[in-house]
Amino acid sequence: MTRSFFSRNGTRSGYQKQARYSAFDLFRRGLSGAEWPRAWRSRDPKSSYDVVVIGGGVHGLATAYYLAKEHGITDVAVLDKGYIGGGASGRNTAIIRSNYLTPEGVRFYDRSVKLYENLSAELNFNVMFSQRGHLTLAHNDGAVRTMRWRAEVNKLEGIDSEVIGPAEIKNLVPFMDTSEHTRYPILGALYHPPGGIIRHDAVVWGYARGADAHDVHIHPYTEVQGIDVENGRVHGVRTNRGGIATSKVVNCTAGYSSLISGMAGVGMPIGTFPLQAAVTERVKPFLHPVVVSGTLHVYVSQTDRGELVFGASVDPFTSYSTRGSLEFIEGLAGHVLELMPSLSKLRLLRQWAGLCDMTPDYSPIMGVTPVEGFYIDVGWGTWGFKAGPVSGEAMAELVATGKTPKIIAAFDLARFAEGRLVGEKGAAAVGH
Amino acid sequence: MSRGALKTGKSMRLGRQPGEVLDRSRQFVFTWNGRKYPAFGGDTIISALSAAGESVFSRSFKYHRPRGLLTASFLDPGCNVQVGDEPNVRGAHRKVEPHMAASAQNAWPSLRFDVKSANRYLERFLPPGFYYKTFMEPQRLWPLYERVLQRFAGGGKASPDAPHGYYDKRYAHPDVVVAGGGPAGMGAAVAAAEAGARVMLVEEEHELGGHLRWGDEEDLAALRRLGEEVARNSTIEVMTDSVVTGRYDGNWVAVSQRSLPRVEERLIKARTKTLVVAPGLIERPYVFQGNDAPGVMLSTAARRLINLYAVKPGERAVVLTANAEGDAAVADLERAGVEVARVEDARNGGDIGRVRGGQGAREVECGDGARIECDLVVTATGWTAPTSLLNMAGDKPFYNPAAARFFPSRLPEDVLATGGIAGDGSLDELLEHARATGKEAARRARGIGAALRAGIPQSTDGEEAPQDSPVTIPDLPVNGHLELFRGRTHGIVDYSEDVSSKDLVAAVKEGYDSAELAKRYTTATMGPTQGKLETVNAMAVIAEATGRSMEETGATTWRPPYAPITLGALAGRNFEPVRYSPMQPWHERQGARPLVAGAWIRPDHYGDPEAEVRNVRKNVGVIDVTPLGKLDLRGPDVSELLNFLYVNKWSNLEVGKVRYGVMCAEDGVILDDGVTGRLGPEHYLMTTTSSGAAGVLEWIEDWLQTYQPDWRVHVTPVTGAYASINIAGPKSRELLARVAEGVDLSTEAFPYMNVRTGTVAGVEGCFMWRIGFTGELSYEIHVPAAYGLYVWEALMERGADLGVRPFGVEAQRVLRLEKGHFIVGQDTDALTQGFGAGISWAIKLDKEDFVGKPELVWQGERDGYFRLIGLQPHDGSVAPPEASQIVEGKTIVGRITSSRFSSTLERSICLGFVAPHLAEPGTTVTVQLPNGERITARVMEHLAHYDPEGAKARG
Repeated sequence: MTRSFFSRNGTRSGYQKQARYSAFDLFRRGLSGAEWPRAWRSRDPKSSYDVVVIGGGVHGLATAYYLAKEHGITDVAVLDKGYIGGGASGRNTAIIRSNYLTPEGVRFYDRSVKLYENLSAELNFNVMFSQRGHLTLAHNDGAVRTMRWRAEVNKLEGIDSEVIGPAEIKNLVPFMDTSEHTRYPILGALYHPPGGIIRHDAVVWGYARGADAHDVHIHPYTEVQGIDVENGRVHGVRTNRGGIATSKVVNCTAGYSSLISGMAGVGMPIGTFPLQAAVTERVKPFLHPVVVSGTLHVYVSQTDRGELVFGASVDPFTSYSTRGSLEFIEGLAGHVLELMPSLSKLRLLRQWAGLCDMTPDYSPIMGVTPVEGFYIDVGWGTWGFKAGPVSGEAMAELVATGKTPKIIAAFDLARFAEGRLVGEKGAAAVGH
Repeated sequence: MSRGALKTGKSMRLGRQPGEVLDRSRQFVFTWNGRKYPAFGGDTIISALSAAGESVFSRSFKYHRPRGLLTASFLDPGCNVQVGDEPNVRGAHRKVEPHMAASAQNAWPSLRFDVKSANRYLERFLPPGFYYKTFMEPQRLWPLYERVLQRFAGGGKASPDAPHGYYDKRYAHPDVVVAGGGPAGMGAAVAAAEAGARVMLVEEEHELGGHLRWGDEEDLAALRRLGEEVARNSTIEVMTDSVVTGRYDGNWVAVSQRSLPRVEERLIKARTKTLVVAPGLIERPYVFQGNDAPGVMLSTAARRLINLYAVKPGERAVVLTANAEGDAAVADLERAGVEVARVEDARNGGDIGRVRGGQGAREVECGDGARIECDLVVTATGWTAPTSLLNMAGDKPFYNPAAARFFPSRLPEDVLATGGIAGDGSLDELLEHARATGKEAARRARGIGAALRAGIPQSTDGEEAPQDSPVTIPDLPVNGHLELFRGRTHGIVDYSEDVSSKDLVAAVKEGYDSAELAKRYTTATMGPTQGKLETVNAMAVIAEATGRSMEETGATTWRPPYAPITLGALAGRNFEPVRYSPMQPWHERQGARPLVAGAWIRPDHYGDPEAEVRNVRKNVGVIDVTPLGKLDLRGPDVSELLNFLYVNKWSNLEVGKVRYGVMCAEDGVILDDGVTGRLGPEHYLMTTTSSGAAGVLEWIEDWLQTYQPDWRVHVTPVTGAYASINIAGPKSRELLARVAEGVDLSTEAFPYMNVRTGTVAGVEGCFMWRIGFTGELSYEIHVPAAYGLYVWEALMERGADLGVRPFGVEAQRVLRLEKGHFIVGQDTDALTQGFGAGISWAIKLDKEDFVGKPELVWQGERDGYFRLIGLQPHDGSVAPPEASQIVEGKTIVGRITSSRFSSTLERSICLGFVAPHLAEPGTTVTVQLPNGERITARVMEHLAHYDPEGAKARG
């Protein structure tokens, strides 16, 4: 990190230069009582930008950050219709892993894990990436076979991943019922030590602060209402805060990505499904790894604060509703107790839902579109958060250079017309 | 457990109070942190401890500050305790029981002396989100820092040995659910019941009555009258210690019932016609320095302690009051013998600056700077409307600054609100509003009920939708109230999360300047009370810091559940069905090893799967294949349907013939396979894979109902209606001949791929198919399920001299692998299109249309797809584990999908997928084993390793 990164002055009055975060500075400001400056600036949109990124979640902010930092393109605006990180970035269950099924998927997510591992230092913002290990349970021999398949592909790609048996699982998760007498006995698991959880909001804020330090403009509460396309080229966007002229627009939205692409006249092979999640009250830490069961449609992790975070598979119908259902928490609780029956007195505290853009092959769509200057980074289903850094890095490279980076080449929009689907159904269906 | 004698500190227990809930005839002992304490029946854990002079019940989440009693209710954030193996018990709500073992959470080594309270002195160095600003480098030390942070995390302890209790659910269909059993809820319930409605009245506390319970003689008299009215109405079901936790779409209401004997908690799912929301108001804490010291409490808490539990809240008090509740608290305190040193009346400019005292309040600095010694500080600064259920019903409550609280704005037809959440007024005015609301709720329920029934054909004329006119609900007055959120100093806003107003201001200044961002950054409102105590104060502080109004700031979203509910109650009993075939008792007697296969439990093997394989190849074996999906298809258009769903042709199938078919989805990916036979001109029996049975039924119904609703086809799932047995081996014809009647089994009369109906072991109506998954001469018979075990036993008995033996799933897997039959889902995956699986012979692209045709046409024109092939390792003693990858250098060019050692061929055999350039028979490929070793294998000419010509099955 160069010093100049944090010494750049803001352009508007009232903005102090970004302060470096460190234990020493915490101590110094604690003593002096000096306030911390804004993490990112608030300002009015300009009438034009070189690049407009739609969506102020981890994907959009990371794209803007890498555009500015790696490619020197700083005349960038990030627009969001709400507060930043309020969509899928703030509603997911913050699991990071790279133990996918296809070599393309593994390489892509492995790059993301590597970026996440260094993100706290890179952004000077602790994103609390806790690599506590990730267990995907297998309850039948078919699942064991799939886990072995993933492990073999992972190992060939250099990823730490192996199939372990019930005794080792019990050792890692003493609360787990690994006996043979359950309804769905646990036969084994795919164990992925580098997987873990992260503080999702911190990733969003860290990228926002990092982008802002490079003079990227972040505009929350700025809703895109139209995209101007003429002769197959992007000319600008229309928002509730006025029009913005630009020749490059990156769609980094989730839940509404097909609507935004539709504004540019680009159709998306996407269905939007709600995905629900819930947390319990806090208890003292007892669960270290992330536990996932595809058969039971549930995944569980415990935050540093002590809450258990639960997720499941997407609802079986398309909808834009983010309200939770009673049936969801009933089924969820049943499945959690199937795995860990001693938790029956633990109380569920809160439930919520987010929106997932599902594609036919359970893989994202990244790259160019038939409209020149309109780029997409969408279709992130239930696996978008873990890919934030690598998507941002690759999309920034694409927008800056006009060339599609190899790491995302397999995920282009044209694959649906040309029959090159990426087979991640097996690893992504409930595979958090 | 308990040490020492009964704790006999200074007793704070008062004489008998008119409204007390204690049963003084029942006195007993319980333990708190290992020490014995006395209690009366009716005491809560915390009231009994308070009566014994205790005032510190927990340590705070972040700074480990001592915390005492604040609300004396379910919400009390400082009163969460551990009871045995149950964490986070609401100590100010849970009734204490004899010998109960309660202990403090989040304190070490003891509640009095907590080492981590040293954090308090570091507070200035630990601003909100301090953890985002440090521990970034070196990265490798973060796990260590994380462990330290985790140690400070609060909450109770889960135990791996906690037993899973008995939980059940109840479904209810009341006309009206009333959420809240205070005077308004009681009045509404009575009025609704009198108007003919069946009512469920749900109250969070242990008794009905709300604030009347801790009121004066007049209030108590009113409560008695209301109680009698409720009791007179037999159509009101009263549930106390229960709470409406959620209102979901279609007035699907979740009720947590905690009052049942010997049941921890029960979930009631009520499809109510109307919901009356009457939760009353929650008293709001006041933000000032020291507002979380033990001894600082709300006026309602002081009044509850005195009037319900006969506990003197302190010796010398200062009261800050802005309303009648505060004034009443002053009167109660004086009556209870507490010295009220000073009353600060906020309506006349009175205020509290700060409270001093480490372990408990010691001194108050009043608004005018006067310092007063006291051990009790009581505040009455206003109310929060718990609008959670209204939000869940789609309402967006609005803020009224004159009353300093939120009110309902626009409710749907089936949700009404009454009581404090709707307005103020005298008790009579409230009751008038409540009664009108209850009557209107009953009226609307009648209308909704009639509308529901209108869709059902009635045997008589049916009832007309009621035409009665709406009940006029009077407007409730709204009392003015000062907007009192924060005083002149900073204090705690969120007690559960240890978030102060200073923290919120700091967050806003750092740019986290919307309600949602500030909440996420500081974690305010994310703790056990979920904002019910702190949301409005948090908003007010954020509004103040941003210079925006309360309306502009807006609240964060209230999400279900309204009150936390145990996982046990939500889960209820496990209703995941387990399916067994009728022959299961026989399998168990033979010591079959069970295999969980989806919903079914099947025999994996009977001890020696290799011997089972050999016996099928040499003599005859029988396998229980009951889980095989079976669909009975009838109607003139069945052949159209089959032609459309399968990739192969069906129009020319004669009666008495069976055919193997493959189904693909729209994307050309193989969905299922199986054999379908034509039993009559318009009658077919379809079999599917065992795991695909339910999915294929849905698939067929989906196409029939949405794409071709005019096709005349009836589909009946009959999987469980028939027990299915496969008889396989060279002696299978001889065995079947001994039990079958009326069917000529000779090859000429009953050739391969034919079906006959006949009698087996005296059982009529059995279907016999001549097919061969195992590669041997074999017959699959489908017997009415009730006779399954009988026929199975008959086969065993009659075939004893032929050497008949059962075989299980494992032997069948080997047999079919030898024969090269793939298993959908194992040898194919979610991307395997038809041509890749080697079934090009079955795919008839000349058919006009079928599901998946466009994709298959597309695939057929290209050549880049992986292919399913037979493989044999050069070293026949090595059977590579399934999922081993086929590699070229480090590049993956295929994988092993099935692999076994074949005792028939005395070598290992495999099926696998390879890239097109490796699919030529005779090619040598490299297989990487899971242990990293590499072996070579030869690509075979056929998928079948055994009898590729099929002579045996046809023989």
